[in-house]
Amino acid sequence: MQKFKPTAIVLALSTVLLGCQDKGPQKEKVTIEKNPYPSTYQPHSAGSTLITNATVLTGTGERLEETDILLKEGKISQVGKDLSVQADVTIDAQGKWVTPGIIDVHSHLGAYPNPSVESHADGNEMTKPNTAQVWVEHSVWPQDPGFNRAREGGITTLQILPGSANLFGGRSVTLKNVPSPTMQGMKFPDAPYGLKMACGENPKRVYGGKGVAPYTRMGNMAGYRAAWAEATEYKQAWEQYNAAYAAGLNPDAPERDIRLDTLRGVLDGEILIHNHCYKAEEMAMMIDLSKEFNYHSGTFHHGIEAYKVADLLAENGNCAALWPDWWGFKMEAYDMVPENVAIVDAVKNSCAVVHSDSDTTIQRLNHEAAKIMNTANQAGFSLKEQDAIKWITYNAAKSLGIEDKTGSVKLGKQADIVIWDRNPFSVYSKAETVYIDGAKVYDRFDEKYQAVSDFMLGQR
Amino acid sequence: MNNFKVSLLTGALLASSAAFAQITAITNAKVHTLTDAGTLEGATVVIENGTITAINPANVAADVTIDAKGRVLTPGFIGSMNQLGLVEVSAVAGSRDAGDDKADVDFDASPAFNPRSSLIPYGRKGGITQNLVVPHGGKSIFEGLAFVVDLSGEFNSVLKTRTALVVDMDASGSGSRAMKYKTLTEKLEGQQQKLSEKDKKDDKKATKKPTQEELVLTAVLKGDMPVVVEVERASDILEVLKVKAQFGLNLVLWGVNDAVLVKEHIAKANVPVVISAVSNLPTSFSSLHADLSNAGELERAGVKVLLSGFAFEGAHNLYQLRFDAGIAVAHGMSYDGALKAVSSNIAEVFGLDGGKIASGQRADLVLWSADPFEYSTTLDKLWINGEEVSTKSRHDKLRERYTTDSDMPRAYTK
Repeated sequence: MQKFKPTAIVLALSTVLLGCQDKGPQKEKVTIEKNPYPSTYQPHSAGSTLITNATVLTGTGERLEETDILLKEGKISQVGKDLSVQADVTIDAQGKWVTPGIIDVHSHLGAYPNPSVESHADGNEMTKPNTAQVWVEHSVWPQDPGFNRAREGGITTLQILPGSANLFGGRSVTLKNVPSPTMQGMKFPDAPYGLKMACGENPKRVYGGKGVAPYTRMGNMAGYRAAWAEATEYKQAWEQYNAAYAAGLNPDAPERDIRLDTLRGVLDGEILIHNHCYKAEEMAMMIDLSKEFNYHSGTFHHGIEAYKVADLLAENGNCAALWPDWWGFKMEAYDMVPENVAIVDAVKNSCAVVHSDSDTTIQRLNHEAAKIMNTANQAGFSLKEQDAIKWITYNAAKSLGIEDKTGSVKLGKQADIVIWDRNPFSVYSKAETVYIDGAKVYDRFDEKYQAVSDFMLGQR
Repeated sequence: MNNFKVSLLTGALLASSAAFAQITAITNAKVHTLTDAGTLEGATVVIENGTITAINPANVAADVTIDAKGRVLTPGFIGSMNQLGLVEVSAVAGSRDAGDDKADVDFDASPAFNPRSSLIPYGRKGGITQNLVVPHGGKSIFEGLAFVVDLSGEFNSVLKTRTALVVDMDASGSGSRAMKYKTLTEKLEGQQQKLSEKDKKDDKKATKKPTQEELVLTAVLKGDMPVVVEVERASDILEVLKVKAQFGLNLVLWGVNDAVLVKEHIAKANVPVVISAVSNLPTSFSSLHADLSNAGELERAGVKVLLSGFAFEGAHNLYQLRFDAGIAVAHGMSYDGALKAVSSNIAEVFGLDGGKIASGQRADLVLWSADPFEYSTTLDKLWINGEEVSTKSRHDKLRERYTTDSDMPRAYTK
């Protein structure tokens, strides 16, 4: 059931007894709980850790040599050379590299988990082109072994998105990549929700193939516009209700619609758009669409043709979350260039992000960034490690609206940190130790810190 | 005879042309021969008429000399288990020729191969010079016949057809995998029966002309044609090894995420395996032992390991094979083993000319700025059949169009 009145009895009574919404004593105000599935995440108890003599990529464009980092009370507490501090644990990171925890803005872990069996296909509510009412967090299986594999590759934060069959696929959720028996135990505290939208071939193929709208790209656009028009009215109805109530009147609350709640969250600036959109002309139209209905068009995911409109994306403050090299599986993925991320990144005020959309490449986002950096440099760019790391740390955090919390080596930020055995842009590089909020969550050389999902326990 | 060169005539014509008369010497290279000669420093490799004619000769009389300045020379790498040239855009039905509902034992997709596919120059960027193209069949467990192409992009680039029979013995989407064994063994027994009857008759004139399917099955039973069996679970691997023993198959196992459980059996049966270096998730109950360490572990058990691209790499991103090899090394495979796994092992198992740097070998070569597995390494030169071939593709044209300043709209930048 998608529509229901949370206060149906109260409203029915008031209609009978009072007849008119403007008279009599005020009924209890109807409010919408915006966080009904709150995070219960607690960092593992963390003593202080001092990492010494590392090559540090800050995530914000700097490379620091022979640098020490103190992780204390879950935060990055000090950064500098030859820190004279005592810590519970000191790690000599001579010859090793340190980066912020890696962030993947596009994952389906838990929603399309492994084993990928029919009982687990929970990633896409392909029943209507607009399913803004579904929340992918309600599909997340925390025992997906992929979370552990991703952590071993340095992933500390990831956004789980619903699939791309629908114009509006539902809400995303941002997770801390910690083992937990519940989704709430992984949920990134105070991260904004996202709304998955999809352009192009997928919605029109899935629904057009069934003989229902959208059948064409113009059908896609009509579908978005109708939904935003409806959401605008819904928003106004609630604003009128709130204003009337505040004025001491006794109005009837609008009918609650959880699909429109999500769209209204976007119009209110509380929910961020994450838009599966490959083509230049479509991204340009999605930007205009957002202006037509007064919201921000957010992050374009996959954006195979982002390089064709790099200026426009930067001008409008869009992040572009891209693969290094996937192509050719659809017409909209035909015009790939492996320098896409670098071309987008080269524009002032840009926000280029490397994403995985894969349970495999999420394990090596540093390698994905390395491919781009080197290919681009061969084509005349002069990118360095300290530039490329931004694509999978700070810029990714920005796309998710959590750049004030994680995504860079900066004092006061959450101590989400990876120690690599060497330059993380080498094909031979591996994460050695991973910290989330200062707590060690992975150690390549200590089984005590190698989590195993319930599913895999006793299987090998 | 099932293995033959389709381009013998064309090859002979080309070989006599002036362009092939020239002798090229690559000097001062670090040469990974992938033969018993090992890795040679400061070595010279001579190419003539599409063939490597000498390594470190006493005297070099070359028309063209390329000083490698210590850079790395490897054989061209060999892709496998993908649909290169049979698929341009996966979602465009008219550009897909790798499968057919009616495909069966005798499905040879090589006439559908398109050497002008945009995937081919993109594959060259990864130093790929040859590829074993594998159809993906239809409803039958028999997916069809693999064939070999080079990545020259020329119209004569199909080098060898009917290279291997491909059989899918992995878990069924419906019904039981047991039925697949029934189908496979009945097919082979049926052909065995026919052959023994034919031997008895001893009247060749009365014998009907064999069908394409019979020709394939005969080659398989004689061990002339390798049989690639796609399988994952350890118990299934053992069952397939039994089938091999029963019929004397020239077996190649493909997929085998659980192979480490039965590695000794595979090694003892002398069966090579084709795996992905980056497969490490329990995608099904048949793949619970997928792990990044598998390539190294199988190698140490004495199994001949061939690396092929992972699912999403497929034909479009064939170029990534060298990086996969690097990941295999990072997780325990030997460096030489990884090099062989993307070149000479594939050539040996499927009977290709190439994959090694030795006198008499086809001159498919790549000159790298440094370690070919590393992201920062560039491909400096690539030769296919002795001809230097560009690695430019339409991707480069697109990049250049959108990164070159012009007063005109981009559409005029070509």
